Amino acid sequence: MKYVVLMASLPPLGSLFEAATPPISRLKLESRLGLLESSDRHTLEQIANLIAWPSQPLERTDAAFLVEAHRFLASNRNPTLRRLVTQRLDMRTVVAAFRRRRRGEAQPPDGEVWGFGEWVGLIERNWSAPTFKLDVIFPWVRQAHDLLEEDDLIGFEKLQFSVVWTMLNRLGAGHAFDFEALIIYLARWSLVSRWSCYKGETAVARFRELVDAGLANHRELFSGVAQ
Amino acid sequence: MSNDTSVLVLGWIGIYAPVALGAIGASIGCTTAGQAAIGAMMEVNSGYGRFVGLSALPSSMSIYGIVVMFILNRPVTPENSGGLFGIGLLSGLAFLMAAIYQGLCCASAISGSKAKPEIFGLSLAPAAIVEGFAVFAFVFALVAAGGIPK
Repeated sequence: MKYVVLMASLPPLGSLFEAATPPISRLKLESRLGLLESSDRHTLEQIANLIAWPSQPLERTDAAFLVEAHRFLASNRNPTLRRLVTQRLDMRTVVAAFRRRRRGEAQPPDGEVWGFGEWVGLIERNWSAPTFKLDVIFPWVRQAHDLLEEDDLIGFEKLQFSVVWTMLNRLGAGHAFDFEALIIYLARWSLVSRWSCYKGETAVARFRELVDAGLANHRELFSGVAQ
Repeated sequence: MSNDTSVLVLGWIGIYAPVALGAIGASIGCTTAGQAAIGAMMEVNSGYGRFVGLSALPSSMSIYGIVVMFILNRPVTPENSGGLFGIGLLSGLAFLMAAIYQGLCCASAISGSKAKPEIFGLSLAPAAIVEGFAVFAFVFALVAAGGIPK
C-alpha cells in the first residue's frame, strides 16, 4: 500500500525530450523514497548499480559487473524487474560492440568477458556484419548503425534514450501502484534528468547562475576595492 | 453436523455474506484510494477535499451489501437456504471485487488529476462504470431474492 502513496505523490514525467528540467528534483525524490522499506531500497540500489551507467565506478571491470548482474538475476524472481535489467544490459552489450568496432577492433574480444546475455555469441560470430545480424531482434540496431556511420553521436545517444523510454513504457503496462511501477518511474526520471542535463544552453545558463551565486558574497574580492 | 444443519449454515452465510464481503472490499478500496489521496496531497497545495471525497467512493459497496442483507434476511429453512447462499455469496463477491477495483480507479483518478485538475471530472468515469456493474449485481440480487421462499 505504501507504493500507492509514493506513486501518487510523484508528478508525471511528460515526454522525454520536452522537459527542460525533471518535474521533481533529486533531493525531493530521495526524500519521497524514504517511505520505502529497507528491502525495497536494497533492491532499488541493486538495480541502480546495474542500469545507471553514468554512475558506474571506473575501477569496476566488465567481469565484476557481470558477476553482480548474475547475482541480482539469481536472487530476484520478479519477472518485470528481471526483464528491465536484462533488456538494458542487452542493449548495453550491443552498444559496447558498436563502440569497440568503431574504435578499430576488427575482431571480437578474445578471452575477455565483455558483454551480457544470450546475444554475445551471435555478435561475436557476426562481428563484421553491419548490424551484427541483430536487426531482426532489435529493430533499432539498423538505425544505430546508420547514425554511427554518419558520425551523428548525438543522434545515436538520442536513439538509445528513445529505445529505453519505449522499453520502459512497455514494461510499465499494468503497473500503476506497485514496486515495479516505482522502479520504472525512477528509470524514466533518470532518463529525463540526464537528457535535460545535455542541453548546452541550459547548462551554460545554469553554470553562470551557480557561479554568480557562489561569488555573490565575494564580489568585493575581485572588484579592486581595498578592504 | 447433520445435513439439515449444514444446509442451514449455508443459508446464514448467504444472508451475511453481502455485508461482510462488501465491507472487506470497501475497506480495501477506500484504503487504496485514500493512500493515493495522501500521496497526491504531498504534491499539490490545494484541492485536498475532493481527493479525500473521491477516496470514499468504494464505501458504497458496503451499503449495497447491507441492503441486500436486509432483503435476504428471513427465517432460514432447508427450502430457502440454497437460494440465500447463492444470491448472498455471489452478490457479496461482486461487491468485494467491485470495491477493490473501484479503489484502484479512484487512486488513478486522484493521481492523474493532481497534475491536471481539469480532468478531475472525466477521470471519475472508470470508477463510475465500475459502480454501474456493482449496481447491476445489487439490483438483480434484489430481483432474484423475490423468488426465494419466505
